[in-house]
Amino acid sequence: MLEVRDLHAGYGETQVIHGVDLTVDEGRFHAILGRNGVGKTTTLKTIVGLLPSFSGEVMFDGASVSRSRPFDIARMGIAYVPETRDVFGSLSVLENLRLAARLAAGTDCKWTVERVFNFFPNLASRRDNGGNQLSGGEQQMLAIGRALVMNPKLLILDEPTEGLAPIVVRQIFDKLKELKGEGMTMLLVEQNFHFATRLADTASVFGRGKCVWSGTCEALRADEDLHRQWLGV
Amino acid sequence: MVADADFWLTQFLNGMQLSMLLFLLSIGLTIIFGLMHFVNLAHGALYMVGAYVGVSAAASLGNFWLALIAAPLAVTIVGIFLYVAVIRRMRRAGPMNQVLVTFGLIFVLVDLVRILWGDIALGMEQPAILSGPAEIFGVSYPAYRLFIIAVGLVVMVALSLVLSRTQIGAMVRAGVENDAMASCLGINVERLFFAVFCVGCALAGLAGAVAAPVFSATPSMATDILIPTLIVVVIGGLGSLGGAIVGSLIIGFIQTFGAVVLPGFASVLVYVLLAIVLIAKPAGLLPARS
Repeated sequence: MLEVRDLHAGYGETQVIHGVDLTVDEGRFHAILGRNGVGKTTTLKTIVGLLPSFSGEVMFDGASVSRSRPFDIARMGIAYVPETRDVFGSLSVLENLRLAARLAAGTDCKWTVERVFNFFPNLASRRDNGGNQLSGGEQQMLAIGRALVMNPKLLILDEPTEGLAPIVVRQIFDKLKELKGEGMTMLLVEQNFHFATRLADTASVFGRGKCVWSGTCEALRADEDLHRQWLGV
Repeated sequence: MVADADFWLTQFLNGMQLSMLLFLLSIGLTIIFGLMHFVNLAHGALYMVGAYVGVSAAASLGNFWLALIAAPLAVTIVGIFLYVAVIRRMRRAGPMNQVLVTFGLIFVLVDLVRILWGDIALGMEQPAILSGPAEIFGVSYPAYRLFIIAVGLVVMVALSLVLSRTQIGAMVRAGVENDAMASCLGINVERLFFAVFCVGCALAGLAGAVAAPVFSATPSMATDILIPTLIVVVIGGLGSLGGAIVGSLIIGFIQTFGAVVLPGFASVLVYVLLAIVLIAKPAGLLPARS
């Protein structure tokens, strides 16, 4: 479904990733692991169109999206949950969700605003609160819920557990597992090795701006040398 | 100075009238600023164009109310032309280049007005129904000036409702707060910007036409109104409706009452206030991004 080939990208003149290759198959859950500063977030931002690619190609659903603008990519079916969550603080929880649901309006969709409220009951009780009044965990749930009501073909999550209490991390874990059970195609960037490898089917390990290893999560868990060299766990 | 309650009520209404004109101009400017970080110094020149179109439309059509429709339409068309020809190309050029180019546009528009209408002040007739004085709280005050206040209040309420209650309003607020994330939700922020820009132009044109019967249309109105409008935007906070309302009221009242109470200092007061706000709250009183 998503195919990244020899992608070079970065911020302004500064190149961060040097030839990333990545494949996410339909219905699969793929994780990207790696230390800080190896280009995980840059890769995601380039896929969703927030950063221009210097060279290489991003294919989604058989079409090249390397030159597409973020709103076109979103409309093609990629939903993005950024590391910083970026819920709209001046909009209520309900408005945040309705804004994203606008895309899928009219079509027969799986995810509605009401279903997100059932999926994350915490959000339902906060529906009229402003995005800036939410706790970190609630903001994360809203960011995920906002991506879901877009009814995406591919859900991209950047470090959803960062800065959250263990009990909230557990909740997010369960919810992502539920989504996986429904067959949602997902791409996850994580520093939390156990969180990622227990959820994902396949994984890529990033180092120095490219993908240095990819395979199944079982193989990754078994390979201790790989951990030492690229993950430091 | 001894003055009675009537005098102060009159001054209050004068302050309201100036505040509403400033609001009509600053709201478009501040949202364009907030949404796309675009600095349009030519906004005041669009106000001037609105005044001249209003004068000509009222004279040729013989109807004040049609002029009030013609001016915003004409100014929006001028705005669309500026957008296509200049502004769209300058979107990624950085604030300094935008300031220089839109500053240059002021001179172009002012000279075009001088060529088309001449370098003299042109008056515009008030509609008969609003030409006399009106009684308000026992004070006699020109009905037309009350009409200016009413126009500002109506636009203020309408914009508040659109921004707070509608999907389009939520899109604008989201875009002002975080345009990158808004685009990741499938919102074409550039098109949204264009729509907001057109509304801003229309309101500048409306303000010009509404002001013309009181102040006459002159080429200098392009720059005279620009400075207080920019101060309103900075004091209120970029991109915020609440900021534009509060900022317009503060500047409108300080200018009006300052001229009465401290005539020698009136022009300085506004800048003193600007300095205080910039030191105490650099993002403005009610910034759109927290």
